Amino acid sequence: MAISREAYKVVKSIVGAEYISTDPVVCEGYRAGPGGYECGLGYERVMTKVPACVIMPRTTEEVQKIVKACNRYKVPYVPYSTGWYGARSHPHVADELLIDMKRMDDFEIDEKHLYAVVGTGVIYSQLQEEAMKRGMYIVVGGGGSQVSAIANMIGDGWSPLSYRVGLPHRRILGTELVLPDGEIVRMGSLALQDDPFWGDGLGPDLRGLLRGFTGLRGCLGIVTRMAIKLLPFQPERLTPSGISPDTTLQLPEKRVKWINFSMPSKDAMRRAMYEMARAEIGGGVTKVPIFWRAIARARSKEEFWELWSKENEGSISSFHLLRVLLIGFASEEQLEYEERVLTDIITELGGEARRTRPTDESWFKNADSAGMWLMCGGYVSVDYVIETIEHAIPHGENYARLKRKFTPPLMPDYGDPGWFQSFELGHQGYSEFLVYWDPDENTDGVDHFYLETSKENIRKRFYTSLLGPHQPLYLTGPAYGPNYHKWLLAVKNEFDPNFVCHPPLPLAHDQFVERADWMKPMKDWESPEIKP
Amino acid sequence: MSIKQKLLEAVGAERFSDAPEVLEAYSKDFSLAPQGTPDYVVKPKDAQEVQRVIKFANEHRLPVVPASSGVHFHGATIPRRGGIVLDLSGMSQILEVDELNRRVRIEAGVTWEQLTGALGKKGFRMMMPLLPHPRRSVVTDWLEREVPTNTVYDYGEPLQSMEVVWPTGEIFRTGSASVAGYPDSPSKGANPSGPGLDFYRLLQGAQGTMGVVTWANLKIEYIPKMDKVLFAPVSDLNYAIEFLYRVLRLRIIQECLLLSNINLVAIAAQDDLEKLRASLPPWALILVMSGMQRRPEEQLHYEEEALYKVAKSEFPQISLAGKLPGLSASGNKFLPLLRQPWPDKATYWKNRGKGACSSLFFITKPTLAPRFIERVKEVAARHNYSQADIGVYLQPIEHNRACHLEFNFFYDPNNNSEVERVKKLYRDAAPVLLEEGALFTRPYGELAKLVYGRAAGYTATLKRVKKLFDPNNIMNPGNLCF
Amino acid sequence: MLKGKTSLDVTQLENFEYDMSKCIKCKGCNWVDHIYMPGVRFSTRCPSATRYLFDSYGAYGKMRIGLALLEGRLDYSEELLKTIYACTLCGACDVGCKRNLDLEIELTLEALRIRAVKDGKGPMPQHKKVARNILKKHNRFGAPHENRGKWLPEGIKPSPGADVLYFVGCSAAYTNPEIAQATVKILNASGTPFMLMPDEWCCGNMLYSVGMIDEAKKLAQRNLDAVRQSGAKTLLLSCAEGYRMWKVDYPKMLNIATADLGFRVVHLVELIDELVKKGALKLSKRVNLRLTYHDSCSLSRLSEPWTPWEGERGIWGTVTPPLERRRGSNGVYQPPRDILKAIPGVELVEMIRMRENAFCCGAGRGTMEAFPDFALWAAEQRLTEVKEVGAQAIVSACPWCKDNFTRAVNQNGGKLKVYDISELVLASIEV
Repeated sequence: MAISREAYKVVKSIVGAEYISTDPVVCEGYRAGPGGYECGLGYERVMTKVPACVIMPRTTEEVQKIVKACNRYKVPYVPYSTGWYGARSHPHVADELLIDMKRMDDFEIDEKHLYAVVGTGVIYSQLQEEAMKRGMYIVVGGGGSQVSAIANMIGDGWSPLSYRVGLPHRRILGTELVLPDGEIVRMGSLALQDDPFWGDGLGPDLRGLLRGFTGLRGCLGIVTRMAIKLLPFQPERLTPSGISPDTTLQLPEKRVKWINFSMPSKDAMRRAMYEMARAEIGGGVTKVPIFWRAIARARSKEEFWELWSKENEGSISSFHLLRVLLIGFASEEQLEYEERVLTDIITELGGEARRTRPTDESWFKNADSAGMWLMCGGYVSVDYVIETIEHAIPHGENYARLKRKFTPPLMPDYGDPGWFQSFELGHQGYSEFLVYWDPDENTDGVDHFYLETSKENIRKRFYTSLLGPHQPLYLTGPAYGPNYHKWLLAVKNEFDPNFVCHPPLPLAHDQFVERADWMKPMKDWESPEIKP
Repeated sequence: MSIKQKLLEAVGAERFSDAPEVLEAYSKDFSLAPQGTPDYVVKPKDAQEVQRVIKFANEHRLPVVPASSGVHFHGATIPRRGGIVLDLSGMSQILEVDELNRRVRIEAGVTWEQLTGALGKKGFRMMMPLLPHPRRSVVTDWLEREVPTNTVYDYGEPLQSMEVVWPTGEIFRTGSASVAGYPDSPSKGANPSGPGLDFYRLLQGAQGTMGVVTWANLKIEYIPKMDKVLFAPVSDLNYAIEFLYRVLRLRIIQECLLLSNINLVAIAAQDDLEKLRASLPPWALILVMSGMQRRPEEQLHYEEEALYKVAKSEFPQISLAGKLPGLSASGNKFLPLLRQPWPDKATYWKNRGKGACSSLFFITKPTLAPRFIERVKEVAARHNYSQADIGVYLQPIEHNRACHLEFNFFYDPNNNSEVERVKKLYRDAAPVLLEEGALFTRPYGELAKLVYGRAAGYTATLKRVKKLFDPNNIMNPGNLCF
Repeated sequence: MLKGKTSLDVTQLENFEYDMSKCIKCKGCNWVDHIYMPGVRFSTRCPSATRYLFDSYGAYGKMRIGLALLEGRLDYSEELLKTIYACTLCGACDVGCKRNLDLEIELTLEALRIRAVKDGKGPMPQHKKVARNILKKHNRFGAPHENRGKWLPEGIKPSPGADVLYFVGCSAAYTNPEIAQATVKILNASGTPFMLMPDEWCCGNMLYSVGMIDEAKKLAQRNLDAVRQSGAKTLLLSCAEGYRMWKVDYPKMLNIATADLGFRVVHLVELIDELVKKGALKLSKRVNLRLTYHDSCSLSRLSEPWTPWEGERGIWGTVTPPLERRRGSNGVYQPPRDILKAIPGVELVEMIRMRENAFCCGAGRGTMEAFPDFALWAAEQRLTEVKEVGAQAIVSACPWCKDNFTRAVNQNGGKLKVYDISELVLASIEV
């Protein structure tokens, strides 16, 4: 497996010998699986490959030159920031160049104007700390603070803290994008000047090409630089404490506080979220699925299963834990005010405050996300949708019903309908459904379930994050828009005429269905010939 | 059959007009943009009728210029190459008011006056730009990224999902309204993003060149239970801006704006504009703090405590009070000016002074505003336009991370030399400001050539995208960079 | 072995197939614990990944490479050996992974080296040279064995039959006598009788570390028998590497628990801390110094006692019987800090990366021998951190660290002082 000698010579001269390798050992180190997000599944086994060459550019100019060379020599390439996203962020075809962006880790911060400018190699926990040192904060996406800030801002980007702050799309400011054909487009204020402080387009906003709901996984270019909004926080320090694995942030309790409430019913929880949003209080809110609590308490995988096996449908359906974050942005008095209002609401709804530790290990720095794999070794979010709370609740319930048919091989969750929360102070709601399985058992059922969720969303008219490259495009395309796929493919064809940017996305899942014997029977939609 | 006859057949006589007085009305607006007369005007009632027009236009290569408002200020709806004006002002239904999710779904022709009234009855409001004209289309104003006076919400823009008729004629829903059968679905259309691409971004700032939006979902907010309006007279603008950097981050202020006295006069004066102007300070800082739905007085209390703590200890020169000396519409009497559209349909506030106004505005960092003001004064002086007559409006955005800075040049539209002077002043000022770093994200009229000429990369990519959506270049051709 | 019988026996790479196949590429093995993340600078703790940058040099790469080796998909090569050996086995990866998961990263890396040697491909030529020294001359330098005891200062006499046996180690015996001398003077001053090995041989750190387990095991058995024969109740070490060997890797190789050794293994800092707190050692002389403390890997992350384990892995990857994993929580972090704070005149400032987040000095486990530039680079990285916090001196509890930092200071000029903690304690007591 190799890229052409000509091409290799050219790209090597761009970065220098130290930052390029075709060594099979180096390349093997970049294999997607078998562990990882959405790994240990059919898609990862069938669709991903080890790169033929790995290159590590340092500047946008180098990236542009590399991309232009790939177009000239028809070398398929994939941008790779941390490799965290799993199968879909890795090479899918033979003789592919993997562009490892970790050296692009420039960082600037404009404290006065509440934004930071980052390269693709900067991760969230770095950015969060730099922000918090200066009285600001960011929302670290649920994927974890180990992810590239840029990659997450164009792919996902939400957490319970999005309750106050909303969509990540609005937090993208001036951005630099190397298009698949090697042209550079600078968006927002970067179109006219060097300061990326603002994101709106000159007229129509080309940030529309960056992500869609949940991103294009790098098949429509490489973002090399982005200014990201920072949010005003409060001045007290969240102090790191403890020794691994029990590290946590000590919260300045008069300014930042989590409170857990046990609620009498799911409806009470739903209403609490609406009432909080109506009152415009809170810095974060979420339902806590019972298995999160089990993960937090368990000191090992075995202990988790000991705790989890004590649960059943009854205990799950009667467990309603609401977790609320209060932030005294303006003052201690603000937090006191919000706590009084919150107490009013909870009391009205028959809930009760539980003793809650004055610490955070999950959401500010989101150091816990890797814990999602503790239970089974395999994990994927099989859907996660921003819509309204009214959409979120039936969406989760629907999934729980569908999921029963696929348990096993999915981990038993006793009918837990995932988690939901409020977004943008109640204007939106969120549901996420996570599934786990043992990757060392037969996982065909998980592959089936994943595709079945897409069909179910279409049948029941739910919105879904799994569009674009995440599910078969010819399945979802006609169902949403309708025919959003037509536009996506038109844009793709326009900007990637040589089809070298992360092929075969956005048609990767279509191809997976054609290639995998156990998937073919699921195809019941029309598509033009997809070459397996 | 002539084109006109074919078009008549396609849309029906009820929707169609080419009467000269009708065409003339669309050929100009309140801006200084050159006149341009359409060939036909069609007033559709629904998306299917819009679609019919667009398909027709593609077939016959006719320009289509969508117009949803009853009044226009920037020349964006003046046809440059004739064609069909698609007037959506008749599509004016408020389709849904979803109180639970604080959302409203409205057609493109719904006006600020209509919406504010309907929402107000239910205890709701929508964030607003400063005093929009009552007959402006709400959807259009948000598509065009008008800047709201409210600085406290991180989620800023109210726009959510939309229905659009693409220039190729397909009817399409963006965001979570893209589910089949919407609104008959669990989806309420609250998510603007996707599917696949962020189509809503391509439609924003497009001035009708990327498609025709027929309805949109937008966020609404509660009307606060209590409000407190505060004023501060300002002569040192830098100082006031620093104050805003400090206090707007505390998230305690709803609406906040800085107005030069001539603008404040235009907005608030009852009768004698000159008299009021003489008594006002050079600038006025206007802040609103609110108690929302629960324990509002307690909320106001902590907000005031926080505000005065900063003001007293760090900015002693800012003197906040419920009244602005000289201004009778002070205190909470001023509030409707921030929560309602402009009350007078006949004379817009910007036109009160002299009859007309040319506005030059852009996005910048607040700390740079004084520098821009200096530049504009220099250019104005060159054109013998009195500095004291320049209206300035500084609208902080989202905790003061940026601001909309607007310059208003007033003139008598019946006085030719004044008209010419303002045209030249505008034409001279724009490149100076651009050079200085002004970000013209909404390049109306001749600004477009200037701005796109400087942004070669962006322009080239934008044109490539436009071509995909509008291969025959029928949507408002000649506008922006198209 | 993904399911079925498994154990923590590092002589079988198969035992770590599960671990290698479950790495999720979160890179927690490289990033400083996100809770402690200091910002855009000093944000990593894996010297290999930070130096060589390609993913293959982080544990995330090595797990995948190890799996490929196990499955016969990858052949040995110069690059493969470099990937395996350009690594200080510092344990940052192990601790980082175990914050959230339960993968045995460190043991996998050890098993990879053992496998490479078994397959006749490892260790590196420079390692073989050191191995020959150890086997022939019982020290890693190849210096005359008869000179091993020459460090002992005048007037200090070991007490045969004492409870404490001071195991000096090759470094303190040959290249860093100041450490051994300080140690015995401290013991003397505190009224702690000690004995020495009648015939002290190298602990075998280098042998075990590079994967030469058969030789290491033989040496371990010989050394263990000698200590048992001495009747010592406490084995005292002033070298972190030696400490780890005796406390963790000897039991590991011999398939016993640390508790079954028959004596306590104690590092000098643990003893001094005890002595100071009970008043047997008085730190009374001023040492005016603004210093920082470097957590040597083998004294901190890697120092928890060993218990052998074997069992079954079943559904979801759960193991039976239950297994208490070593996660680095109970490393010797606090005692050296308490000691330094107790010295009058000392101003202790912490580095940005401390305790389980410490950035390895770069010397250990075969790195300095086979990749001297990399070892120097790692030390230099650590020293920029020292500069960042404005310390005049860096203190550690291991001669390997002291040596490597000293080399870096000498290479680059600069006034930074490099001490072993025993030297500072000595300076503070009346002798």
